Amino acid sequence: MSSTPANIPVATTPVIESTPVPKSYAKSIATTSDPWDVCLTLEYGGDRSFAWSIHQQVTHTPPASWTQVEDRLLASLAVPACTAAACAFFCEMLALVGSARSVPVLASLLRQPNTRESARYALEAIPGAEVDTALRDALAELTGDAKAGLIGTIAARQDAAASSAKPSPR
Amino acid sequence: MQTTSSTITRRQFLRRSTVATAAMAAPSILPSHVFGESAPSKIITVGVIGAGNIATAHLDALLGYADSVRILGICDVDRERRESAAARVNRAYGSNVCRAHADFRELNRRADIDTVYICTPDHWHALNGIDAIRQGKDIYIEKPMTLTIAEGRALVEAAQRHQRVVQHGTWQRSMKRFHDVVSFVRSGEFGKLERIECPISPNNRHIGATWVPEPVPEGLDWDMWLGPSPWRPYHSLGCHYNFRFIAANASGQITNLGAHCLDIGQWALDMDRSGPVEVEGHGDFPTTGLFTTAGTVDLTFRYASGMTMRCFTSYEGGGNNSARFIGERGWLDIGYAKMSASDPKLLRELQARHAGVRIPSSKNHYDDFFAAVRSRQGTIANAETAHRTTTVCNLGTIAMTLGRKLRWDPVSETFVGDEMANRLRRRAMRAPWSLA
Repeated sequence: MSSTPANIPVATTPVIESTPVPKSYAKSIATTSDPWDVCLTLEYGGDRSFAWSIHQQVTHTPPASWTQVEDRLLASLAVPACTAAACAFFCEMLALVGSARSVPVLASLLRQPNTRESARYALEAIPGAEVDTALRDALAELTGDAKAGLIGTIAARQDAAASSAKPSPR
Repeated sequence: MQTTSSTITRRQFLRRSTVATAAMAAPSILPSHVFGESAPSKIITVGVIGAGNIATAHLDALLGYADSVRILGICDVDRERRESAAARVNRAYGSNVCRAHADFRELNRRADIDTVYICTPDHWHALNGIDAIRQGKDIYIEKPMTLTIAEGRALVEAAQRHQRVVQHGTWQRSMKRFHDVVSFVRSGEFGKLERIECPISPNNRHIGATWVPEPVPEGLDWDMWLGPSPWRPYHSLGCHYNFRFIAANASGQITNLGAHCLDIGQWALDMDRSGPVEVEGHGDFPTTGLFTTAGTVDLTFRYASGMTMRCFTSYEGGGNNSARFIGERGWLDIGYAKMSASDPKLLRELQARHAGVRIPSSKNHYDDFFAAVRSRQGTIANAETAHRTTTVCNLGTIAMTLGRKLRWDPVSETFVGDEMANRLRRRAMRAPWSLA
């Protein structure tokens, strides 16, 4: 795994208050080959093979087991050392398997500048009224481009709901 | 095996077509009812969004319409590209009528522009196209029409709502040989069709396992280049032409090249308002490096009739955009540069008139578009057709991404029994972009 070049700023890590760090992440990342651990340090341009391993695991998880992989993704997002690139990746995976269980964590990330985009991408894909509520609740707190993005997500979810209610023209 | 071969490049094809039909464009030859309410002598004005590789070919062709088309605007997020393209047009016209724009919204809102050519990377197509449509423009949109299935349906609906003409860049629909094979197959004269095969080239871009972000070049608006796609740092190999091989921006060769041959297959199967019901296969994805689309693919699309269409990577002949029709009487391999068959008789029959089918035809993709703009009638590659072809490509991409067989309902445009696949029908857009 390559180290971050000196002239590239280190990505700020998300801090999720109130979520305890799982014991499984207490051990040193440098001594483990667990892709989940290594992926926490993912950087743009870095070795993404560990992320690919996780991608394969997530996409091949049967629906009955989505909760387990969802929990693992949420635990990864809770790690303070999780880089911006890693956060974006874990949120991309949550978009595939996430449920209402992910909403509290994602709603918190939605309110942080470094993670709000990635969190919104995941929320947009996760079905359920809990997501709609979380998005509406965040509307009053965001401004500028972030608010525009949120409005776009709310509109896209309404479109998706409307589209699913009618068959396409033949 | 009989082979008819004419090696021409895509640019040569576009140029020859323009010259050959220059006379056709003269108002005195075309019947007046073709033009509807618009006067035949009205100049159609054009704006071009995206001044890269394919836009250069379009400018070559459009400048040949000296009496009927005027290019008034070029937009690109790369200053050097937009200024040099605008300068080129102005040199050709001997005037400064063509302006360079940095923002597509500015171009789309020009009252003096009738039509917009969308030649941007795939992740921009839906936004550029729907915005143009909402501003009252007819559009020629490069293939694949959109990055996602949901964007495609949104664009179709926008075009219907605003009654705009859409021409998809699947220009092979305006080549006689492809119309011939579609007629030959659909008339039944080819005999029982057993399957269709579409070879495409492999991804031809490679980079090391890691890459180092680079400073953004002077004059390039990288944030605007990324547009609705997720942020990443700049690298010269991850910009402009190579967008094709980065999953955040495109889907690799299946959309870059497969869109052409799969489109012909859809046409031959009379599936322009529908599609397959099942897709399976695999793609070999790079696990490291900048490029993230499948390097090689092998996909089979199955239709409700039982017919199959296979799209696969080939190292020989993938550059012909060909579709091979295999049936009880043998096979026909039709590409834009070469044609061949298992039996020369089939090639002779291919070019004969086929009774019992009337399939819309076009002799020139540009003429077809401009005629539709004037008459308000449909094009040979309209929005619904474009969306259905692009959906085939996207079905393949999703099947490869998930690594499993998928069932598809072309009526509801949903996957059957696969929630994860359904979630991949759409993608969130980076703020502030949205289709709202």
